[in-house]
Amino acid sequence: MLSLHEVEQQLNVWGWPPNGSWELVVGNTHLAFNPKTLIMTWVVMVLVVLFGVAATRNMSMRKPKGAQNILEAVFEFIRGQVNDNMDPKKGAALLSIVVTYFIFILFSNLIGLVPTLNSPTADYNTTMGLALCTFFIIYIFGIRYKGLGYFKHYLQPFVFFLPITIIEDFSKPITLAFRLYGNIYGGEVLIAVLLGLLGGWIHVMGGFIASVTWLAFSIFVGCIQAFIFTMLSIAYVSQAVADHH
Amino acid sequence: MGLEFNATLLAQIFDFIILLIFLRLVVYKPLMKLLSDRTEHIEKNIAVAEQERQEAEQLKAGYEAEMRQSREKANEIIQKATKAGEDQAAEIIESAKNEASRMRETALADIEREKQKAMAELRDQVASLSVLVAGKIINQKINDDIQHGMVREFIEEAGELPC
Repeated sequence: MLSLHEVEQQLNVWGWPPNGSWELVVGNTHLAFNPKTLIMTWVVMVLVVLFGVAATRNMSMRKPKGAQNILEAVFEFIRGQVNDNMDPKKGAALLSIVVTYFIFILFSNLIGLVPTLNSPTADYNTTMGLALCTFFIIYIFGIRYKGLGYFKHYLQPFVFFLPITIIEDFSKPITLAFRLYGNIYGGEVLIAVLLGLLGGWIHVMGGFIASVTWLAFSIFVGCIQAFIFTMLSIAYVSQAVADHH
Repeated sequence: MGLEFNATLLAQIFDFIILLIFLRLVVYKPLMKLLSDRTEHIEKNIAVAEQERQEAEQLKAGYEAEMRQSREKANEIIQKATKAGEDQAAEIIESAKNEASRMRETALADIEREKQKAMAELRDQVASLSVLVAGKIINQKINDDIQHGMVREFIEEAGELPC
């Protein structure tokens, strides 16, 4: 039986610096980066771009096939959700952002299931970054469609609700970020724990069943979490732009 | 393990924005154009199909009217021809009847004339026979036998007359 730390060391075939970070000093500010997260993000970005290019190369209007079908299905589905939740005219600007959310998070979640690779979304820096994007988009859309009157909703229905509405606003990115991070990070930890717990001969004799089951469930969780993040972003933005009556 | 955010967060926001811009330019633009093209194409096809159906219905109605008209015309022509044929037949029969009656009248007139001629001839013969008989009576003694013979002879002679 191996501890989680030992399993992680054994799986570190790419030579990630243990607990290391890239340091960058610009003037007086000291910037630290997690190399594993950054490199995996770039890998995911390359995969997403390859998928996007493969899907849109030789697009056929009459006979879509392969990646084009998948991209069209995802795009149409999310467009349907956006149009259900808000005025399609307002939603057009949001559409490309949420589709990118979905594809990027889905790829990030699934790449962590490849042995020795990690999900960028298993790092709360990534998920918080994405959630902050949603946070800003809420304000951008609210002010764009309602002007400064958007901030009136903090005082509704009564002025005393001001602290509650402010907390509500800040809870949105935090819940978005940690829901995604918790699910994906937990999934990765359990994969490593199962390898450590049922390692060696036990793994070959039947311990792999638990690992395989958990991997299959992780695929499901990865899809669901990408979907939830996208849907909640749409819901928050639609709340901000909705016409109150 | 504390919760420590570092500059990775900023890097991830930056990465996401780069990815978003790239996908927007390279993937979503052509995809949206394709989808709207497809919608347009389908709408156009449906409109064209409806229009063509209407045109076909109009054509069908036109052809049916034309067919009905030509059938009526054909009927008219047949009726006219039948009537003309009947008229002609009646005319022919009429003229044939006229001809026949004319011929009969001619024939009757001929007969009458011949009869008159024969009567005239007969009258001449009778006169001459009477003269002959009178001569014979004068020449012979008259008895019953003679009388009988004379009468028979007279009848025979009369029977031989052509009349």
